Amino acid sequence: MVVGSSSDPFAALSALPRGQKVEIRDSRGHTWNGTIVPSHELSGSRIVSLKLESGYNVGVSVDSGTTFRVISHPPPEHHPASAPPAASASVESDGWITLLTTGGTIASRVDYDTGGVRPVSDEKEILAFYPELKNSGAVRIVPVFDRLSEDVGPPDWLVLANDVAEAFRKGARGVVIAHGTDTLGFTAAGLSFLLADLPGPVVLVGAQRSPDRPSSDGPSNLEAAATVARDRRLGEVVVVMHAGFSDDRFAIHRGTWVRKMHSSRRDAFESRNGPPLGTVEGGKVHLLPVVRAPSAGPARVEGPVDDRAGLLWFYPGLTPERARSFSEGLRGIVLAGTGLGHIRSSLIEWARTLTDKGVVVAMTTQCLEGGADPYVYATGRELLRAGVLYLDDLLPETAYAKLVWALGRAKTASEVRELLTRDRAGEFLRRHRPEAEA
Amino acid sequence: MKVGLEVHQQLATGKLFCRCPSELSDETLGSFSRRLRPSSGEDRRVDPAAAFEASRGLSYRYEFGPLDCLVEMDEEPPRALSEDALDVALTLALLLSARPVDEVAVMRKIVVDGSNTSGFQRTALVAVDGSLEVRGKHHEILSICLEEDAARKAGEGAGEIVYRLDRLGIPLVEIATGPDISSGPEAREVAEEIGALLRATGRVRRGIGTIREDLNVSIEGGHRIEIKGVQELRRLSDYADGEATRQQALLSVRDELHRRGATVGSAPPVDVTSLLHKIPSGPLSSSSRKEGPVLALPLRGFAGLLGPIPGTEERLGRELADQARAVGLRGLIHSDELPGYGVTDTDIAALRAHLGLGEKDAFVLVADASSERGTLALHRVATRATSAIEGIPGETRDPLPDGRTRYSRPLPGRHRMYPETDIPPIPITTARLERLQASLPERPTARMERLERQYGLNRELVRQVVYGGFADTFEALTARGHSPALVVRLLVQDVPAIAPRPDGSAFEPSVARLDQVLTAANAGRFGKEGIPRVLEALARGAPDVDSAIAATGLEGLTAEALAALVDRIVRAQAPLIRERGKEAFMPLMGDVMREVRGRRDGREVAEELRRAIQRVADGTTDGKPAEGS
Repeated sequence: MVVGSSSDPFAALSALPRGQKVEIRDSRGHTWNGTIVPSHELSGSRIVSLKLESGYNVGVSVDSGTTFRVISHPPPEHHPASAPPAASASVESDGWITLLTTGGTIASRVDYDTGGVRPVSDEKEILAFYPELKNSGAVRIVPVFDRLSEDVGPPDWLVLANDVAEAFRKGARGVVIAHGTDTLGFTAAGLSFLLADLPGPVVLVGAQRSPDRPSSDGPSNLEAAATVARDRRLGEVVVVMHAGFSDDRFAIHRGTWVRKMHSSRRDAFESRNGPPLGTVEGGKVHLLPVVRAPSAGPARVEGPVDDRAGLLWFYPGLTPERARSFSEGLRGIVLAGTGLGHIRSSLIEWARTLTDKGVVVAMTTQCLEGGADPYVYATGRELLRAGVLYLDDLLPETAYAKLVWALGRAKTASEVRELLTRDRAGEFLRRHRPEAEA
Repeated sequence: MKVGLEVHQQLATGKLFCRCPSELSDETLGSFSRRLRPSSGEDRRVDPAAAFEASRGLSYRYEFGPLDCLVEMDEEPPRALSEDALDVALTLALLLSARPVDEVAVMRKIVVDGSNTSGFQRTALVAVDGSLEVRGKHHEILSICLEEDAARKAGEGAGEIVYRLDRLGIPLVEIATGPDISSGPEAREVAEEIGALLRATGRVRRGIGTIREDLNVSIEGGHRIEIKGVQELRRLSDYADGEATRQQALLSVRDELHRRGATVGSAPPVDVTSLLHKIPSGPLSSSSRKEGPVLALPLRGFAGLLGPIPGTEERLGRELADQARAVGLRGLIHSDELPGYGVTDTDIAALRAHLGLGEKDAFVLVADASSERGTLALHRVATRATSAIEGIPGETRDPLPDGRTRYSRPLPGRHRMYPETDIPPIPITTARLERLQASLPERPTARMERLERQYGLNRELVRQVVYGGFADTFEALTARGHSPALVVRLLVQDVPAIAPRPDGSAFEPSVARLDQVLTAANAGRFGKEGIPRVLEALARGAPDVDSAIAATGLEGLTAEALAALVDRIVRAQAPLIRERGKEAFMPLMGDVMREVRGRRDGREVAEELRRAIQRVADGTTDGKPAEGS
């Protein structure tokens, strides 16, 4: 087939199926031989992408003078040659753990149709990707969602909490949740408040490098998470990720203390205000004495959630008008104030109006380390008088997750305030030790 | 014999995908350890070379220093491709009359030997279909690629390979020729021509390891073999010719194996530890072996064909041993080299009986603490022995310092390439090509002709200047009034003679620095004979030319002191002068130069001496030692 200049060669080439072998001849008579592959999302407007015999891709500019001919048709759909995974319930003499998948980098691969990374939820594909998952024992896989973590929100926390409780009811020793890293800290905090009487560990884990790269941190993170999930000393929600640049040391963070502190590093997750709960090194789990021991169970979900809650990061240009428009329709707001928990004085009236109407306004510090304290400066004392609740050393994100939970649990502002100030999942540290000097 | 060449040249722009400098450093700030595993490309197939590396189960330690950032550590996404580096690659495309692509797509080439923290090398095809004429023969240029260099290996321990990150990400231009080279010496000539073209851009790194060549060699009936990373140009023809010889020799063994109907069984290796009166020495006595079993593999019909192949230094046994080494064993023992290594005739008889082997059959022994690894090794040996019956297996081979090569891994396939989605495609605009075309560097041949004409230098010297990549510096220095002959000697002889630094990087003084050295010599602060010593001092870290001169002790001989020194020697030798007149010049010049030690220019010393001799001959000097000297 030869397409001349009479029809648009770009449209004709774009309509060809992926995998079609073609020869493209440009208006100067130069030719390119290759297989049609999807163009990058950011490719030029009239670019056709070809994979050459050498394996290289090139972008070929197609104008009205370009001609092409089809050399051969695409081969039949190629099926992955990966070995079929053994049945999930293999040897379970030593009990099993349940893996809940939600999508995210840890369960995604390059999508050659868009050039981006796409989630995978298929159990077989996950086991083919992560054979090391079963190194420490049997694993049952339950796909829950299939999305990137920016699309996981408070109602999803409840879904996950129910699946966790269900897994424990069925007899799992522990639960691993594979989750995108961007909002992993929020989900970890949300689950910490929603779940009660945990008979074993709930371990959230992610990857900062997608599994289509040989250097992905997914496999080793997942292996460490599975090891922690089998630990009989632990009965709380934790996050397990790299502790440093190396693939051989992992940190165990309490779900309410942890925050993603770097956009790309493997060790992006850090516990604030103190050390992590423990580490995994050489397949061994080391825990600090502060860990919460397993309960006799059964695991319970104490919901529901109410996401009429907001998290507002104070900045110098925040005017009462903007704050008012933000707080519309909300039952509660967490403020991330400056320093010990401050906002500009012109906003104090806005806060008072809200609390008078029964909206819960809670204060945390945007410093992320240290506590919010209303007594040191006049602004703090005024905010306190305006009805603002100080939440000490809770991370803003943790305070937000707790607010979502508390609003779901209680009707009146005073009940919500009561829930917010009472420790539920070991979220308050209240004792800040000095860091060892380097 | 057909040879294709891939020339890899480091660029002196910044790194390709981060904004770190393209420089090496031996300072270490820390290290970290990683594991890699193969991942599949667009068509979900795992590349054989990648699967092989992964099967070795190694972990990798990376040392980072002050010149590295999170990108090299694979802790941060790559930054945009260096526009400077792309300009250099496009300039080369134009010089080679190649056709640039319309839009550059950066690919990931899976390489899981640990030399890239990401597990892949980023590479992009920039241009195709070029040509190069060398000594009247037309050579096809298949492709010009831009890729990132790998980390450099710093050591190897038990189950771990150590790399330094400084080299990782330095841009490499890769120029690949068609398989149209027909001899080793021709390969060298083509490489030299490409090297000169690269240096003509003025944007390439210099020194050991900054340019590396891969050779693709095949012969009739053989297979394409890739010899990777030849650093010495003069060795190219040895490797090419050596590979042709190796394939010839192995083909002759194949013919004999065919004739005999040789076979390699698929039965699992046999544990023969109890049949031997003691554990053999040599390749089987590795300290890592400890208490592991000795395993045997029968090779039916192979007897007498594992040792030296007549007329060559090749042997099939070595090919088999390379397979054992590839999984971490020290080597193997084969029956053609027995008795030996403590294996006696009695042992051999017992082995042959136990394995059921006849006269024409051979066997191979390996030992390792892990019987799994020993079994894996013998599995690989069996595969290699089977392909010996069929012909030459395609391989990637490492060049060795003695001019030979050694198996390194299977040939990679196209399945190891998939798109680097973190880098958007880069359009190559007409405007960009026009800008580069307008400032194209002079081609080496044209430049040689011009320099010859302009400076009246002979062709061989000009060739050394241009092909050595010194032409820009040469012209900059002569433009500052330095003598062409002196500058040529400085660039072609004196500077390259300086030993490389401990990190392997070459001494590369700037034009300004060389100008200072020559100016100081011209001003008579030290003799031109002292130039190499001043350069040496600079290479060893003297911060400027003044301190370099001071460090060599070349300075301090003022014109007055020289006159006094000459005067003293002349007075002492006055009888000789009176006896032989001007004939005394030569012996006295030797005496004087010994004391001057390069501190003054030879010509100046000669003039001073002539005048002093004249004074004695004229009787204006009395021939008695001067007072106070």
